[in-house]
Amino acid sequence: MAVGTQRTTELLRGVLDLCLLAVMDEQPSYGYEMTKRLRDRGLAIVGEGSIYPLLGRLEREGLVDTYRAASNGGPPRKYYRPSSAGRLALALGVSEWRAARDAVDAVLAPVKVEVAS
Amino acid sequence: MSEFVEQCREEWRRIGVPDPLADEMAADLASDLGEAEAEGVSAEEFLGSSAFDARSFAASWATERGIVPTPPTRGKARRRPVVLVVFTTVAALALIIAAALLLTGEPKVSVVTQRPHVVPMPGPTFVPPAPGGRVLHAGASAPVEWMLLLLAIVALGFAAWLWSSRSRPRPPGIQT
Repeated sequence: MAVGTQRTTELLRGVLDLCLLAVMDEQPSYGYEMTKRLRDRGLAIVGEGSIYPLLGRLEREGLVDTYRAASNGGPPRKYYRPSSAGRLALALGVSEWRAARDAVDAVLAPVKVEVAS
Repeated sequence: MSEFVEQCREEWRRIGVPDPLADEMAADLASDLGEAEAEGVSAEEFLGSSAFDARSFAASWATERGIVPTPPTRGKARRRPVVLVVFTTVAALALIIAAALLLTGEPKVSVVTQRPHVVPMPGPTFVPPAPGGRVLHAGASAPVEWMLLLLAIVALGFAAWLWSSRSRPRPPGIQT
């Protein structure tokens, strides 16, 4: 795996649960639908980052509620949406993410990137 | 059903995922994979490197959902018996020592009930019992021995309970 891809995978690992909670908070979604919506925003699930184990953990921890409903012309799918505990976790997680992002930006911002041709 | 989903089913069966839950997960996965394929998205794009290892993927999903027991870590599994063995050995030794002390009946503290008349001398002195005088075992240390015996018995009982709880099979701890 390329270094850049590996770093992206590791960065995503810490916040993918927040991203999933965020997309299902906008609109209840089933598994594949969530990956599509993440991909549309530039977040491809790379490396070993399948979302199913993560959705399983969110479900076990009571951070999501699930229900079954028919998808557009397809078979019934399992839809996920954040529970009240999930919304709280999302709010706290976003706050932590912003603080961490700002701190990292403060360190990395002065770095001038020059790519030799 | 695709080969990938079938391999997941086999893994779920092997690790003890209840059939209704395995059916549900397999149906969701098959539907998602079908939709991805219809949109021209490869299994690798959708599942990442999990697409090449169905068994690990299936086990990870089931474990994260809490529908199979998490195997204890090897370090933990090794450490606990060592602690238990040491605890049981110490308790057994304490029991043997306490029993031996009580059975040998060696007087630990003696008192002289008939003292000869002596002129008190300054400083500590040892006064041996007078010939014919009665030396009684006061038993001043006996409570300590009994306490040690009692503690050893309680500790051994606790150790026996810990050993028996280790050997009992655990329920799968399914959380759905």
